[in-house]
Amino acid sequence: MGVYDFTVKTSQGKEKSLADYKGKVLIIVNTASKCGFTPQFKGLQDLYMKYKGQGLEILGFPCNQFAEQDPEGNSAIEQFCRFNYGVTFQIFEKGDVRGETAQPLFKFLTKEKGFEGFDKKHPIAGKLEEVLKANFPEYLEGDGIKWNFTKFLVDKEGNVVKRFEPTTAPEDMEKDIEALL
Amino acid sequence: MVKVYSITTCPWCEKVKKYLKSKNVEFEEHNIELSEEDREECYKISGDLIVPVTTVNGKDFVVSFDKAKLDALLGL
Repeated sequence: MGVYDFTVKTSQGKEKSLADYKGKVLIIVNTASKCGFTPQFKGLQDLYMKYKGQGLEILGFPCNQFAEQDPEGNSAIEQFCRFNYGVTFQIFEKGDVRGETAQPLFKFLTKEKGFEGFDKKHPIAGKLEEVLKANFPEYLEGDGIKWNFTKFLVDKEGNVVKRFEPTTAPEDMEKDIEALL
Repeated sequence: MVKVYSITTCPWCEKVKKYLKSKNVEFEEHNIELSEEDREECYKISGDLIVPVTTVNGKDFVVSFDKAKLDALLGL
């Protein structure tokens, strides 16, 4: 079982086999939520523009599992949503990425690369742990996806090479991407 | 007329709308995901594409769900 064995649906509802991406370096990311406090669309789009000519593809999987909390009174979270335009990498159909209802692809990815902690140096690391502890303490356990914008880097042969938590900004993935291109 | 610029599935937009309703403030909703014209207008007002944006006259505005600022803007 590998990444290429999965078939997913694009946001237009078309079936897409991940085998179509053989030979490409992939970033698979649960995008979700134009709200939340970790929007990384712009950083991902910048990566895409920079490296797509060299064979990078970014596959975004929208998910509402982290956005549907009621963050009222939680000052850690910005109280607005951002309209994301100009994202040209592939966005797939909305679905779950953690727990029993997670899409098979994400069950596979989190099994391949487990949770190794947040990057404490990132400015949102503290906030993120706080929000999780307060709202979803169970999310902190195990290898499941912790929050929006968890990024999995896949090499040209379909191996899941590395997992980056939401506390790693897309621009900080450049070295790892370049090593695979 | 009070205008609220919003996007689909935006909890903060919902909160603003609910709040305005609770205060009997009439408003027009403009979903910037659905209309390019509204998108441009929204960008013109706040200089960014974040929502909700509430405006009374297209100049003075409040970004996000901020009761105190909304009260000040709307004279509540």
